[in-house]
Amino acid sequence: METNQPSAQDASSSQVRVLTVDDSASMRALLRAALTSSGFEVEQAEDGQEALEWLATNEVDVVLTDINMPRLDGFGLIEKLRESALHAERPILVLTTESSDEKKMRAKNAGATGWIVKPFDAAKLTAALRRVAH
Amino acid sequence: MIATSTTSTVRTVRQTIMQGEARASADERVIMSTVLGSCVATCLYDPIARVGGMNHYLLAKPLDQSVACSDGSYGLYLMELLINEMLKLGADKRRMKARLYGGANMSAGLSRIGSENAAFARQFLRDEAIQTVFEDLEGSNARRIEFSPVNGLVRARTVVGEAVPSIKPINLTKDNPRGGSQGQLGDVDLF
Repeated sequence: METNQPSAQDASSSQVRVLTVDDSASMRALLRAALTSSGFEVEQAEDGQEALEWLATNEVDVVLTDINMPRLDGFGLIEKLRESALHAERPILVLTTESSDEKKMRAKNAGATGWIVKPFDAAKLTAALRRVAH
Repeated sequence: MIATSTTSTVRTVRQTIMQGEARASADERVIMSTVLGSCVATCLYDPIARVGGMNHYLLAKPLDQSVACSDGSYGLYLMELLINEMLKLGADKRRMKARLYGGANMSAGLSRIGSENAAFARQFLRDEAIQTVFEDLEGSNARRIEFSPVNGLVRARTVVGEAVPSIKPINLTKDNPRGGSQGQLGDVDLF
C-alpha cells in the first residue's frame, strides 16, 4: 500500500481521497501522477483482495478500480464492498479496458457508481471523481 | 512457421496487426505479421499455456504534461489490452515473455520518435516484471515481422524498397475510436 499527499493547492479536490486498484505497476504510476497533480490524495492497492483488506480499517472518498486483476477482480471487489455496511454507499468507479455492454451491466448490477473506459482522459477522470465524491 | 500444403489439413491463418491494434491467439495456425517503421510491436507469449499476442503502437512525442499523461495512458491501454486478451485465453502474466521490434529513427526530422517508442516498451516491461528475451529496436531501417503466438517464434527482416505505413501518431486532441462499440477516449458513464 502506497500513500501520496496532494501536491497541488486545489481547494475543490484537496479533500478528496482516492483508492486506486490496479495490478499494473505502470498504470498505478500513471494514475498517481495524474491524480496527485490535480490535488487528489492517492492510496493504491495492487488487486481487489489488497483493497478489501485495506478498506476494512481505512476510509476513502472514492474507489477507482480495474476489472481484470488476480486474486480478487473488480467485480468481486464491488460485490464484497456492497455487502459491508461501511462501504454500501461508497462511490466506486470502474476504470477498465473492457468494452462490452455485458461487462458494464455486470458492474452496474454489482453496485458500481460509474464506468470509464481506458485509455483515460485525465480531465474527464478527475471531473468524474470530484462529481461522485461529493 | 507452418507451411500451407494441399495435402495437409493445417493451413496458416495470417493476421495483420495494424497500428493501434492488439490481438492474441492460442491457434497454432495463426501467424501475426506487421510492418514497422518508427512504430513498436510487442510480441508476448506464455510458453506453458501456448498463448501469445502482438500489439503495434506509435506514441506521439509528448508536447506537454497533459498530453504526456494521455499519451502514456494510450500506450498502457494497448499493453493492457494485449495482456488481457492473453489472460482470457489462459495465459499467466507471471510466465509471459516479450520480444520487441521496431522503433526505427527513419528521419532526422522526427526527433528520434522511434527511440522514444522503444523506451516506452522497455520501461513498461521492466515495471511489469515481464522478461524481455529478445529485442530488435531502433536503428534506421523498417522491419517486417512474422510472429507465431503459440510458440513465440519471430521472423524479422529489414524492409528495403517496400511501402512502410506512414507515421500517424495518436492525435489525443480528437476523438479516439477504439473499435467496436466503444465510446470515445476516457468516456465516463455514471450509473
